[in-house]
Amino acid sequence: MSRRVFVLVATLAAVCTFSVTAASAAPAGQTANPTGTPAPLRASAPGVTARNVIIGTTLPLSGPASLYARIGTGMRSYLSYINARRARDGSRGVYGRQIILNVYDDQYNEALTVQQTRRAVEADRVFAMLGGLGTENQQAVRGYMNQRKVPQLYVSTGLSEFGSLHRQYPWTIGWQPDYVQEGILLGRYVRQNLPNAKVAVLRQNDDYGREFLQGFLAGAGGGFVVATETYPRNGGAAVIPGPVSRLRASGADTFLVIATPTEAVTALVTAFRIGWRPNKLVNSVAATTTFMGLAQQSAGSPEAVNGVVTTTYLKDCNSPAYENDARVRMYKAIMARYAPGQPATDCLFFYGMAKADTFVQALYRAGRNPTRASMMNAVRNLQMPSPWLIPGARVITTPRSAFPIRHQKLARYNNGNFTEFGTLQRTR
Amino acid sequence: MRPTWRQLAGHGVLFAAILLLPLVISDFRASQFAYVGVFAIALIGLSILTGYTGQISLGHGGFMAIGAYVTAILSVNYGVYDLLTVPLGGIAAGIVGFLFGFPALRLAGVYLALATFALAVIVPSLATALGDRTGGTAGILLELPTSPIGALSPDKWLYYVTWAIAIVLFAAATIFVRGRRGRALRAVRENEIAAVSAGVSLTRYKTLAFGVSAFYAGVAGSLYAILNFIVAPGTFPITLSILLLAGLVVGGAASFVGVLAGAAFVQFVPLYAGDVVGRLTGIGDRIGLPGGGFDPTTPGVPSVVYGVILLAVLWLAPRGAAGLAQRLGRILRIS
Repeated sequence: MSRRVFVLVATLAAVCTFSVTAASAAPAGQTANPTGTPAPLRASAPGVTARNVIIGTTLPLSGPASLYARIGTGMRSYLSYINARRARDGSRGVYGRQIILNVYDDQYNEALTVQQTRRAVEADRVFAMLGGLGTENQQAVRGYMNQRKVPQLYVSTGLSEFGSLHRQYPWTIGWQPDYVQEGILLGRYVRQNLPNAKVAVLRQNDDYGREFLQGFLAGAGGGFVVATETYPRNGGAAVIPGPVSRLRASGADTFLVIATPTEAVTALVTAFRIGWRPNKLVNSVAATTTFMGLAQQSAGSPEAVNGVVTTTYLKDCNSPAYENDARVRMYKAIMARYAPGQPATDCLFFYGMAKADTFVQALYRAGRNPTRASMMNAVRNLQMPSPWLIPGARVITTPRSAFPIRHQKLARYNNGNFTEFGTLQRTR
Repeated sequence: MRPTWRQLAGHGVLFAAILLLPLVISDFRASQFAYVGVFAIALIGLSILTGYTGQISLGHGGFMAIGAYVTAILSVNYGVYDLLTVPLGGIAAGIVGFLFGFPALRLAGVYLALATFALAVIVPSLATALGDRTGGTAGILLELPTSPIGALSPDKWLYYVTWAIAIVLFAAATIFVRGRRGRALRAVRENEIAAVSAGVSLTRYKTLAFGVSAFYAGVAGSLYAILNFIVAPGTFPITLSILLLAGLVVGGAASFVGVLAGAAFVQFVPLYAGDVVGRLTGIGDRIGLPGGGFDPTTPGVPSVVYGVILLAVLWLAPRGAAGLAQRLGRILRIS
């Protein structure tokens, strides 16, 4: 080996060793720099410039599902707040970068989800997608996002495979407790509190309904369900009364409703009208004070909804219990400032903000000059308390488990409010 | 009527533009223009039925869904190469369309519109109900598109495939509506009684028009499935059928220019309607108009924009883009 080559190799080796030790010695979220000043901001990834991080989301802004657009409004409002406030390091936004969220209307139509996602990634060059809505919609773009290695973060659906298939789809992750976990909690409740219950189940006829029921059976330990009826997705109010009367005829004394809001409200109202007074268990997507109020109004009696038991993982933005909670007050202040005129009593906004906050925290941990890979690494190794979650709950992801939220509690509805009860339970 | 050299030259220029466009645009834009080709095929079919034969259809989204499911089931469950399934998708939809022509014989105007509308409702519901074959509400995910030619990206490959099919089918449609058959179809449109007394068989021509038109929609649906790489009940909402009819109205008479304009309308308005308001409020905020700070992502905004665009088109160009082009042509010739 000639002397020149030896020097070159030695220098290279030295540089490599140095950078490896330097990188491992750097604190999380910091890039090592010998002078001690933070590394300058640069365009480190698609959608990341020295000044901005551009991300996108797909939501229905038109069509029957457009109420969900409030998730986007919640995320945008929170990011506006983050962009305006001064962080501990003295900068605004995240490390001085403004976070820009593009909202794309997909009308809840998978074909448009594909096109709008492609538009976000290829034409608008977003860094990542955040909180896209809908199980089928997000399944439709999952292969594409993973082929392109673009983070598909915190999809707004509770199907467990967005967490369990993380080896196959390493660029994809969900956020809320999945349907299996929710079912487990309600199943445990029945086993412990209603040991002689005869449970009648109404569920949506798809993966969501199927895996929720699986979770319930696992939690209950089997043997409680005496009758099951299904209804088609997007069936609307008309498809509910028939199955509910058949369930009543089964002689069940406990009614488990695994349904989206319109159908769940109709189910509760129908049960009341036909004189059925079972114990009521309702999945969290339909168990909000807004929908309980609707059901009560429609049935003409609080009896139709009082006593409904559900699961919860976020602080209830309407509950008197959290009236003086710092985070709920912050939520209301942000709504008043960035989404004036919007009904802050709808906790979908709160859901959007909480999700945007998890994103912001992960982005901090992805480093001063994040890449898509460093972002995914941060997302998949995130352990932190979150003041948006019910007290004691933490965001937890590890390389082997990709379910960010896995702490839940039960809650019971009475006269206008849900009240948490029982202990905080970890379901994964 | 034989095409004039001027018309031929015009089409030659258009086809050359279609051929050369991918050289100057990104893969993403190429994919968007491939969708325009898909909707162009559907609109050519719709114009045979509605434009030439006078039979209104609010069910073409349903025919597209049939083609799409044939492609999805054959390519995913049976491993058939996806582009080979395109003619089969067309034929399947064509048979359904032909059969649909029989009840359509007894219905006219609004009643026919309602009957076809039922088709747009039924096909996605049926796909939901037949969960084992069709994947239920989750639908069927197809493989991400690939290109057999190394020099072409998958998007540009599908662009050329789609437009090649569109041009062939446009030529076929031009031949189909020419001569005796074309006169018979138009006679059915203008006055059914007069047509019958002149010896035109309503049964024959209506079912034929429905079948051919549905074949076009089925081909479009198959290609749509390949481009989207998903087929699900949610990808064929009722609004798609209405959008197609709106595209036909926007495009105007059955000229290639009109079909292109209508197809562009169907493709781009749903995708970009939401942005229009964002841009406008941005400008409004900058020059200090009242109503500042309006959130352009408010639900319902895209639908309003869509309605306004449709009204504006009908007001400015009541005979559609094709009529507008003719008018412009006349003005240019006079001056």
